[in-house]
Amino acid sequence: MLKAIFGSEKKGKILLYIYLNGESYPTEIARAFDYYLNTVQNHLLNLERGGILYSKLKGNVRLFGLNPRYPFKKELFSILKKALEFIPKEEMEKCYIARLRPRRTGKPL
Amino acid sequence: MHIKGLSLKDLAITISDYLAKNGIETILTGGACVVIYTDNKYMSYDLDFVLISSDDQKKVKELLIRVGFYEENRYFKHKDTECFLDFLSPPPSVGAEPIKEIREIKKGNRKCRLLSPTDCVKDRLAAFYYWNDRQSLEQAVLVCKDNNVDLNEVERWSKKERMNIKFREFLEALSE
Repeated sequence: MLKAIFGSEKKGKILLYIYLNGESYPTEIARAFDYYLNTVQNHLLNLERGGILYSKLKGNVRLFGLNPRYPFKKELFSILKKALEFIPKEEMEKCYIARLRPRRTGKPL
Repeated sequence: MHIKGLSLKDLAITISDYLAKNGIETILTGGACVVIYTDNKYMSYDLDFVLISSDDQKKVKELLIRVGFYEENRYFKHKDTECFLDFLSPPPSVGAEPIKEIREIKKGNRKCRLLSPTDCVKDRLAAFYYWNDRQSLEQAVLVCKDNNVDLNEVERWSKKERMNIKFREFLEALSE
């Protein structure tokens, strides 16, 4: 579904993940989809180079988000929003929804 | 290519002209435009060029390496300058809009294309609007004070970006 537009299914899923979660980092995305970390990092860096993503350091972690200054952001958001409708519910729950609630240090997951 | 001792403005002209003579069109954007439009009231070591064609990335690298630059992460550095070069993907834009007017600065028969003062202000304000970067707000104000900036155009653009409240904050900073 996403390959035709983004040139790679993985790239499309990474964008969808970030669209849904606001910001994310390579390890989190790699874990969510069971992708190699290098694959995710390369896609993220290419998307950043293209101006689609921004990145910033928070502590030792590099966070990536959709660049609000990207000239086609409105159109990109529309495509991503539409694409979400086609993600099966199980896949959505398994892969796309990161835990947002705080969790006390040391408490088992 | 002689790099040592060049000001940021002269380095921008040197690089831009060298690339143009090798068939690569660029537009200077970002903090370097602020340095140029405020006559060094603000200091930056970044030279951000937007490429007109994304096919040029590889050729840019080859051309810069040929004159002594080396790539570190995604930036280009040179032993004779503290400045570093970055080449951004097209299209040249400010927020959701294409750049409307391109200016030129010249030294002898060499030239560099860059944002107009009005687009430079929009570019800085975009950083203030989206990243809440106060330094960018100050830069926008500096450019307005030293140049003829079309504030009606900046207001129209800000409204289109849905940043009316922050535009008012910019106007307040400008009147201080």
